[in-house]
Amino acid sequence: MIGLVAQVGDWPTPVVDWHALAPELVLIAGINLVLATDLLLEEGRKWATATLTGFVLLGAFVPVVTLAVIGGDVRALFDGRYVIDDFALILKALFLLTGYVVVLMSQTELEEGGYYQGEFYVLLLCSVLGMVMMTSSRDLVSVFIALELLSIPAYMLAAWRKRDRKSNEAGVKFYLLGVFASAVLLYGMSLLYGATGSTRFDEIAASLASGDLIGLQIVGITFVIAGFAFKVSAVPFHTWAPDTYEGAPTPVTAFLSVASKAAGFVALVLVIFTAFPTADGVYGPLVWVLAALTMTVGNVIALRQTNIVRMLAYSSVSQGGFILMPLAFVNSGDAAEPALKAVVVYLLVYGFTNLGAFAVVIAVARKTRSGAITSFGGLISYAPGLTVLMTLFLASLAGIPPLGGWIAKFNAFKAVLDAGSGSGYALAVVGAVNTAIAAAYYLRVMREMWMNDPPDGDRAPIVTPAPVATALGITAAGTVVLGIVPGLVLRFADLQDLTGALGG
Amino acid sequence: MQLVVFVIASLMVLVGAVGVVLRRHPVHAALSLVLTLFGVAVHFVAQEAHFLAAVQVIVYAGAIVVLFLFVIMLLGVDSADDLRIERLPIQRPLAAVMGVGIVGLLIAAVVATRGSEPLQAGAGINVAGVGIDDAVAGHDANITQLAGNLFADYVFAFELTSVLLIVAVAGTVVLTRREKPPSEEDAP
Repeated sequence: MIGLVAQVGDWPTPVVDWHALAPELVLIAGINLVLATDLLLEEGRKWATATLTGFVLLGAFVPVVTLAVIGGDVRALFDGRYVIDDFALILKALFLLTGYVVVLMSQTELEEGGYYQGEFYVLLLCSVLGMVMMTSSRDLVSVFIALELLSIPAYMLAAWRKRDRKSNEAGVKFYLLGVFASAVLLYGMSLLYGATGSTRFDEIAASLASGDLIGLQIVGITFVIAGFAFKVSAVPFHTWAPDTYEGAPTPVTAFLSVASKAAGFVALVLVIFTAFPTADGVYGPLVWVLAALTMTVGNVIALRQTNIVRMLAYSSVSQGGFILMPLAFVNSGDAAEPALKAVVVYLLVYGFTNLGAFAVVIAVARKTRSGAITSFGGLISYAPGLTVLMTLFLASLAGIPPLGGWIAKFNAFKAVLDAGSGSGYALAVVGAVNTAIAAAYYLRVMREMWMNDPPDGDRAPIVTPAPVATALGITAAGTVVLGIVPGLVLRFADLQDLTGALGG
Repeated sequence: MQLVVFVIASLMVLVGAVGVVLRRHPVHAALSLVLTLFGVAVHFVAQEAHFLAAVQVIVYAGAIVVLFLFVIMLLGVDSADDLRIERLPIQRPLAAVMGVGIVGLLIAAVVATRGSEPLQAGAGINVAGVGIDDAVAGHDANITQLAGNLFADYVFAFELTSVLLIVAVAGTVVLTRREKPPSEEDAP
């Protein structure tokens, strides 16, 4: 009994900074709220859950803004395992906004399709919670839980159209390869923990820097990178992406190709910058090869696609290669800071642009009921607004100034060239060639829209539902503004803002 | 003595693991898994992590494998899939090459590590109770430290796993529920 009392005195009560955790707490409360509300609503009024979900996401946005405004010291919780710095805040904002846009895009689709709306939004919120958690995680356990929290709902959302065989296939493929990737990742993490003695990224970095790398550490690092490469659908781990993207409901595809992918990149950035910055002999060549393969293979296959969603799927695979590119040179010369900046800016721009492209696809497919690229023929003659927006998004994806995609690509190339090494120049050349190839298939869609005639001669105007129009407005504004005023985001992405990176 | 325990426990783990993969009958495979889990529990005891060993047996062997067995029996085991059909004939040899390659890689990594400095001790469970208050040390030390890990250091990740459970329940219900015509009331 006395022993027990003594233990109570020893209890290391964790100091919790509630303000720092507020975005996550709002989301958790929101998940329960939406789940409970869904039970009480009648079948005809389920649309209210979508509105509620939108408010929850905006509500979680408020503490992110207040944290950013107050600024001040970096908030480290739980012994440095959960950190709120500027890097975390800007990406939390991106994920919450992405979630909001996806809710807007899903609303009409779900209502008309008669899907399970309440549960859909609950799972969407859970996935966003996982992403928000990922941005702040600074140890292996938190990163893994965050990764599972964002992936497991996504597996189910991909299979949401239960009676559609393609959707079932999408879910099963995504699930099987996803859990396989998780297993590889977890194995790598356990090796790293065994070979460094800690799960915290800063302690792992210190342990890796303290001497020569030993075999088990090298294997651990390789497995961790390979595990995350599945999540960001880097070639050769991309095989699930096209089938899943095509079969899943289109809003879910947009969510997977932007948010889920960005979360994978956030995890990669975190492990590379804060856990293994000195092990560049291991991850450098690995990421170099992944980036070059991803860009090239994604692009070459995208050229041959006739389905717009599959084309966007392969295009997003190849865009992933450009995001990977700077990560290969994190520890060479002064390339670390431009690399971090390039990745963050690319993720923001790519998020807005790709979501926008998918929103247009949703709006057009409501009328044409087809996914073929040729169904975009003559779009200018009956939907000029959508045509202009789609042109904007495709031009941004191709990297044409003054749009966001241009500034993103510019930064990625600058980061690689800043490394100043032969392999850096080689990768930049590969990237440049791929930019040219990519322009070909983006321009093909544009030509279809502007030059050709509608395939069936039907020129009835498209009615864009209000939520989708709002989503288009947000994404278009983001794409243009980030291109014209890139300083807006560049100032968020200094290396000092990612606490613990390279000892900074 | 330590070596004998180690060899026996390791044999249990390995035989069980091979059994899980090779047994054709899913029930036998699940039972092989129990053998593996017991072997791991013996390892835990040998490392003086008694609480972990008990939890390993109760949770994994007791609950999770039993759950596997329930699922196998509910789904029926008679319709075992024929694994001989392959879409790409090269897959199987390729998988064998990859498997052998990874085993070789790991063995090489372990052998190469042997000569280097001893690894840093983990910051995990301090099984001997070194550096802990005398009143707490002894057989309670395990539990105290686990509690410290779960409810102080990793409390946020630990609590968020409960959201994972909501996800699993909500998603499974939606995906597996048989759809009814809209006129019918859902059973309570």
